[in-house]
Amino acid sequence: MTLNRNKLYVILIMACSFGYLWLYFNINKNILKTQSVGACIIKSSTGFPCPSCGSTRSIVALLHGNFHKALYLNPLGYLVGLIMILVPFWILVDLINKKNSLFYFYRKIEIILGNKKYTAFAVLIILCNWIWNIIKN
Amino acid sequence: MDTQKVDMFIMSNGKYFESHKMLMLRSRLLDVDDSKWSILSTLQFKDPTTILIVSILAGSLGIDRFLIGDTGLGVGKLLTCGGFGVWAIVDLFLIQQATKEKNSQKIEQNLI
Repeated sequence: MTLNRNKLYVILIMACSFGYLWLYFNINKNILKTQSVGACIIKSSTGFPCPSCGSTRSIVALLHGNFHKALYLNPLGYLVGLIMILVPFWILVDLINKKNSLFYFYRKIEIILGNKKYTAFAVLIILCNWIWNIIKN
Repeated sequence: MDTQKVDMFIMSNGKYFESHKMLMLRSRLLDVDDSKWSILSTLQFKDPTTILIVSILAGSLGIDRFLIGDTGLGVGKLLTCGGFGVWAIVDLFLIQQATKEKNSQKIEQNLI
């Protein structure tokens, strides 16, 4: 799958809309009387939470203004929330101006993350978060 | 390049590329200069089967995507628990093709 601009934007829009849908169901869990569905394969198969388990709860806490609780549940929730807010606007601006700044930004991030120093740093952070996640539960 | 060399390369590295691209790759290799052979014979390719195994074991962490060089998509998979579990399953079927495409890209870059 060679990733070009349009493909990336379609993937991002799909991911964001699915994310918002997921969020809607999670917020209205009590109203819709649906049970919480565990989406994580790792958690349901091994019992241990994965590094990003709890980010939905974290975003829900963020929406209610509980910043400390959000940070406690999963700091990655902040990152995911930021992406979910930023990306649709960025794509819209890009489409209106007929530019591909988000695509260039994505490429730049990929190159930066390909750098060994930054990769090691990112892996370390994710690992720490994972260990913390396991301890919390 | 020599027909014998090209056929040897194709025979030993055939599994790393998509089958429909093999004929094109063969004619492309026959056209290039003989000096490219040393580069070509030292190239390392990603094995689709290994990546598939990684995808089965650690697909929902996005490790398979990181390994083939799709760092951005890997981060996406990692942050969403393997795309809410759906993307991880879809990727079991897509990842081999994606790996082969990455290998094709790599050989193209090295032949120019």
